[in-house]
Amino acid sequence: MSREEFLVFYLSVLAVILACRCVPLFVLKGRELSSRVSEALGLIPVAAFAALVANDLFDPVAGVSVPALLSAALVVAVARRTGSLIWCALTGMVAYALLGLVM
Amino acid sequence: MLGYVAIGIPCGVMAAEVDVSPAAAFLLSATFYSGAGQFMMASLALAGTPVASMIASVALVSTRQLLYSAALSPYASRAPRPLALLFAATVTDESFGVNLERFASSGEWDVPRATAVNVLSMLSWAGANALGAAVGPALAIPTAVMSFAMTSIFVCLLAGQRWDRVTAVVAAASVLGVIVLKALGAGSLAVLLGAVLGVLAGLVAGAARGGRGGAR
Repeated sequence: MSREEFLVFYLSVLAVILACRCVPLFVLKGRELSSRVSEALGLIPVAAFAALVANDLFDPVAGVSVPALLSAALVVAVARRTGSLIWCALTGMVAYALLGLVM
Repeated sequence: MLGYVAIGIPCGVMAAEVDVSPAAAFLLSATFYSGAGQFMMASLALAGTPVASMIASVALVSTRQLLYSAALSPYASRAPRPLALLFAATVTDESFGVNLERFASSGEWDVPRATAVNVLSMLSWAGANALGAAVGPALAIPTAVMSFAMTSIFVCLLAGQRWDRVTAVVAAASVLGVIVLKALGAGSLAVLLGAVLGVLAGLVAGAARGGRGGAR
């Protein structure tokens, strides 16, 4: 990628990212939200993280990776026990690397 | 913060593979502040994807931030506009999960503290990326293993949610939605649309149960 192409890429993506991060907060900020909207907002974390996990674990071409699924299951156990992001990241990487070698 | 270092260094290593310098990696990470987007950027550049497709893909994968911003809006209602802007502009997946949990469980948690979490996390992320870009190929870790650190963090944040029947429905619908959407070729939009499907399914499940009362 040339310097000019990188600049176009960088500025375009940055504009979209900032708009996505800031516009909804400022549009909804200070408004009285209905209970239905509040309920929907409260469901966003679970929905977003479940979608991100599924996106990472499922590949429409390669299908589901067994080492990835087993590693994710191990990470769930570590998360429930420690609640630590760093331990989860390290456990996941090590488990995925080792399971990838043996499976 | 250490979680960001664990995934930031591999992300910087990947950036170095597409000739991003440590300084550029720092700037990119401090402003994009998007692990998924940055891992995707490096993967697409390595695959020789045209710039227009890279912009569309990375921009679309960042649209989930719309949901985070909306979810955080009730807590920023009394924050001054410049602080609210800084707070909003520095939210990412992990700090969103941490801050929302704090806002929901502690009445003392406020926007200045949440912004501090965002900014410190961002600096950790950017510093780790710059370090990764500096050491580059010296760290011979396979790309798939490096990017699984991010998957692990998403799993941790998901597992740390408060679980009941409605949240189980939300998670199941989101997962199913993403799988179906990706199989249909939705690509980078699958995460946003899958999450929206999950929220809608949760609202239906909540209504069927007679309202979820006190979900937030």
